[in-house]
Amino acid sequence: MKENVVIIGGGIAGMEAARQLLLLGYHPIVVEQKDRLGGHVGQWHRLFPDMASAQDLIRGLGEEISDANIFLETKVNSINRLRDGYQVMLSNGVNVACRSLLVASGFQLFDAARKEEYGYGVYDHVITNSDLEAWFNGKPDVRIPEVPENVGFVHCVGSRDLKAGNLECSKVCCMTAVKQAIEIKEKFPSARVWCFYMDLRLFGKKYEDFYLGAQQEYGIQFVRGRVSEVGETADGRLQVKAEDTLTGKPLRVRLDLLVLMAGMACNPEMTRLARMARLDIDSDGFLKSLDNIRSINASNRPGIFFAGACTGPKTVPETLAEARAAALDIHRYLQKGL
Amino acid sequence: MIDRVASGFHPFVIPFVAGMVFVLGYCFIGIFRILLQLPAEDRKRFFISLVTPKTILKNIRDIFCDCLFHVKLWKRNRLLGYMHSSIAFGWFMLIVLGHIEVILFLPHRIRLFYYPIFFNFFVAEADSTIQGSLLFFLMDFFLLIILSGIALAMYKRIRSRIFGMRRTARPSLMNRIGLYSLWAIFPLRLLAESFTAHISGGSFLTIPANWVFRQFLGNDLNLLPTWWAYSIVLDVFMVVLPFSRYMHIPAEMMLIPLRNAGIRVRNARKGFAKVQVLSCPNCGVCIDACPMSVDKANIKDCTVYLTRQLRRKNERRIEEISDKCLLCGKCEAVCQVGVEGPALRIQLRSERKYALSPDYSCIPDPPPAESAGEGKVLYYAGCMSRLVPSVGRSVESVFRKAGIAYEWIDRDGGVCCGRPMYLAGRLEEAEAIVRKNEAQILGYGVGTLVVSCPICYKMFKEKYDLPGIRIVHYIDYMQELLDAGRLKASRSDLCYVYHDPCELGRGMGIYEEPRRLLGRIAAITESPKNRNESICCGGSLGSLTLSFAKREKMTRAALENLYDGKADAIATACPLCLATFSRYADRPVRDIAEIVDAQTVGTITKTEAI
Repeated sequence: MKENVVIIGGGIAGMEAARQLLLLGYHPIVVEQKDRLGGHVGQWHRLFPDMASAQDLIRGLGEEISDANIFLETKVNSINRLRDGYQVMLSNGVNVACRSLLVASGFQLFDAARKEEYGYGVYDHVITNSDLEAWFNGKPDVRIPEVPENVGFVHCVGSRDLKAGNLECSKVCCMTAVKQAIEIKEKFPSARVWCFYMDLRLFGKKYEDFYLGAQQEYGIQFVRGRVSEVGETADGRLQVKAEDTLTGKPLRVRLDLLVLMAGMACNPEMTRLARMARLDIDSDGFLKSLDNIRSINASNRPGIFFAGACTGPKTVPETLAEARAAALDIHRYLQKGL
Repeated sequence: MIDRVASGFHPFVIPFVAGMVFVLGYCFIGIFRILLQLPAEDRKRFFISLVTPKTILKNIRDIFCDCLFHVKLWKRNRLLGYMHSSIAFGWFMLIVLGHIEVILFLPHRIRLFYYPIFFNFFVAEADSTIQGSLLFFLMDFFLLIILSGIALAMYKRIRSRIFGMRRTARPSLMNRIGLYSLWAIFPLRLLAESFTAHISGGSFLTIPANWVFRQFLGNDLNLLPTWWAYSIVLDVFMVVLPFSRYMHIPAEMMLIPLRNAGIRVRNARKGFAKVQVLSCPNCGVCIDACPMSVDKANIKDCTVYLTRQLRRKNERRIEEISDKCLLCGKCEAVCQVGVEGPALRIQLRSERKYALSPDYSCIPDPPPAESAGEGKVLYYAGCMSRLVPSVGRSVESVFRKAGIAYEWIDRDGGVCCGRPMYLAGRLEEAEAIVRKNEAQILGYGVGTLVVSCPICYKMFKEKYDLPGIRIVHYIDYMQELLDAGRLKASRSDLCYVYHDPCELGRGMGIYEEPRRLLGRIAAITESPKNRNESICCGGSLGSLTLSFAKREKMTRAALENLYDGKADAIATACPLCLATFSRYADRPVRDIAEIVDAQTVGTITKTEAI
C-alpha cells in the first residue's frame, strides 16, 4: 500500500509537490479550502516573462495529479503528533495518519482597502492587480472604463511599508506591473500608462528586457516616486498626486483607472496551522525555515516540510522548484525511516 | 490663659523665624521678578483683575477649592483627596486657630508672628474657659486630621494603587528632604504640645498623651528638646521649600489669580510659564494619564518631568521631552493645578532655531474667487481627510442629499490649515499659512465654513480671523440638517463605541454633540476612559520624534480601551484617528460622517445654502 502524505494547500506548490510525490510512488492527499485547485495563479491570466497562460499551467498540473486524493472546500481541523508521525483531522470528517506533511498554504493578497489614501473601495475606478487579472480572464468589472485614456499603476501597495505592517518586498509586483501595463497598452493602444514606483526590482530571467520593451515599444511612463494621495474630481475621474523624485518636482495626473499592486501578506490560515503544529514563525511573520539557505523546505518539526509562499514571497518558477525539492525531501525522510 | 514667658521669646524659635524670613523673602522677590517678566499688557490685565470684584471672588473661591480642599483630587480619588486636603486644610486651620488664640488671650503678643505657632509653649492655663477648651479641642482635632493624612501619605509611598495611582514620580533629593521634614512636623508638634499640656492645657489628644508620658518620662526634661525639634523641622521644611516640589504651595496661589486674569503662556521659561512650572506638585497623576507611558515606556517624558527639568535647566532633556510629546492634552486635563503641558512644549519648540525656513511665496495667491461661493457653504476637508478619502466623500454626499449648495475649497488640494507647523512650534510659518488661507476663504464670500477635521477645526476657531464666517464642525452641521428635517435618518443595527479625538474633545470641549448625533442613528456604548480622559490614538501630529513602532504600541493600547463586548464597531470624528485605528483594529472603524451618510436619505429637492 502506498504511503500517505498530506499536502495543505492546493495552489501551484501543493499541485507540483503532489505530482512529484505521485511519481515517487506515494499517495498524496491535497487539502484545499477553496472549491478549486490552483490558488492565486489559478486566477491569473498570463505569466511573465513569456506570457504563458496561467490556466494552461494549472490545467496541466491538475491532469497530472488526477490520481491523488484531493479534498476541496476542506480545512485542517487539527494536527496531532503520533509516535512516528501525525494525525490530521479534516473538516470533512476524514482522519489521516501520515508520517510526513507538506505545508503549502501560500500567501494572502494584501487588502488594498487598508491603504485608505489610495481609495480602494472608495473611488469608482481603483482596482487591484488581482482584479485586473480577473478582468483579463473575462470577468466583467464596472470599475474599468470602456476605453481608458490614462491608466496608473501604483507599485508596493502594502509591501515595504512599515505603516501597513509589512516591511518585506513582495518580489513579483514590479514585474507584474510591467506585464500588466503592457497588457493594458495592448488592449488600449491609445491609452497613456503610468507606473509609480519606489525602485524597480527586476531580478529574474528576461525581466530587464521586458522593462526596456515596456518603455521603448509601449511608451509606458515610469515615475520614480510614491503616490502621496488619490483624489476624485467632480467628473468622477481620479486625480493622483506624486513626486517625481528624479526631477524633484511634484506631479499631478488625471486618470481613468488606477491599479494597485497589492503585495503578499501572511495568510491567517498559515498562522493558525503554525499554532496547531507548533511551527516557528520568522520575524517577517511568515513560516520559519530550519535554515534560510540550506534547508528552506524543512521546518522545526520532524516530518513537516514547506513549499512556496508560506515561507515568504516567491515567483511561480521558484515556487515550483521548491515544491519539487520538498517532494524529494519528503521522499528521503520517509526512506530513511523504513 | 496667662503669659508664661515674660520676655515673650525663647531661643528655640530662632530656626523657625529664620526659615520663615527666608521663605517669605524668597517668595516676595519671586513674585516681583515674575511680575516684571510678564509682558506689559499681561501685567496690566493682571492688576486690573486684582481689583475686579468678579475675579476677586473667583480667585478666593479657586484658592480655597484647589489649594485647601483639593476638590479636583476628591473627584479623582476620595482617599487621595482626603490625604491632601487633610494636610492642607488642617494645617491652614492650625495657623488660623493659633492666631485666634493669640488674639483672644494674648492680644499684646500679636506682633510676634511665631506666637500662633508655638502658642502652647508660651502660655500657662490659669483658669479654664469655654472658649479656651473649644479652641484646644479644635487644635487637637485638626492635628489629628493632619496626622491621619500623614499616615496615608506614608502608606502611599508603599502602595500608591489604592489611591488610584499606578505610578508616581520618583522624588528627587530635595523632594525627599522636604517630604520627610513635612512628615516629621506634625508628630513633633503632637509630642511638643503633649509634653507641655500639664502647663498650657490641652484637649482629647494632648492631655491623655501628657498623662501617658508622665508615667514613663519626666515631662519637663523633654519639654524643650521637643519644641526645639519642632522648630528645627519647620526650618528645614521652609528652607528646602523653594528648591523642592513644595514650592507649589505658594506658587499655586499666584497661578490661580494669573490664570483667572486670562493670561496665557507666551514664553516657556518666564512669567506665567515659570509660575506653572513652580506650581507642579510632582504628584505624577500625568504619568498614568500619558498615552506614551504604555508598557512603562517614556515615563520620564511626562509633564511632571518636564517641569522638573525646566527647574533644573537641563536643556538636553528639555528638548527631548518637549519634542517627544503627542500634545494630546491629557496631562493638562487630569492635572490638579492646571499645568499646561502642551502649551509649555509648543513654546519650548518655538525657541528652536532652524537652518532652513520654508518659503511659502511659491504658493500662488489664490485666484480671486469673486464671491464664487455666494449663497453657498464652504467645505474644507483638510490634509488628513486625504489619507481617508471616505470622510470627504461622505460629507459631500450628505450635502447633496440635504440639498446644500456647497463649494469644496480643497478638493483639488489646498493649503494646510497650519496646525502641524503650529504644533511644531514654528509659529511664524503657521502664521504665514493662516494668512494664505484667510485670504482665500474670505474671497469666496460665504457665511459658513464646514470643517471635517478637528485638527483644522481647532486652528480655524482659535487662530483664524474670518469675520462674518461661522466655522462649524460637520458634527454640528449634520445635527442641524437633521433637526431642520432636511435629512431623514434610519437607525443602524450596529452598536458603536465612540472615541473622543483629542483635538475635538479636550481641544475644543466637544463631547456631547458627537454622541447626540451618533445616538440618533445608532446605539452607542462608552469605553472606560472616555471624554476628557480619552486615550490618544497615537497618530497625533504633535510628536516630532516618536518612532512608528512606539506609536503602534500606543494605538494598540488605545484600542484595548475601546474594545467593548457590546460594540460592533468604533466611531470617531477625526480622519487621523480613523486612519490610525483602522491599521490595527479588530473591528470596523468609521467616521461619524460615513455613518450619517449611510443612515440618511434626503428630503429636499431644491439646492440652497443654510
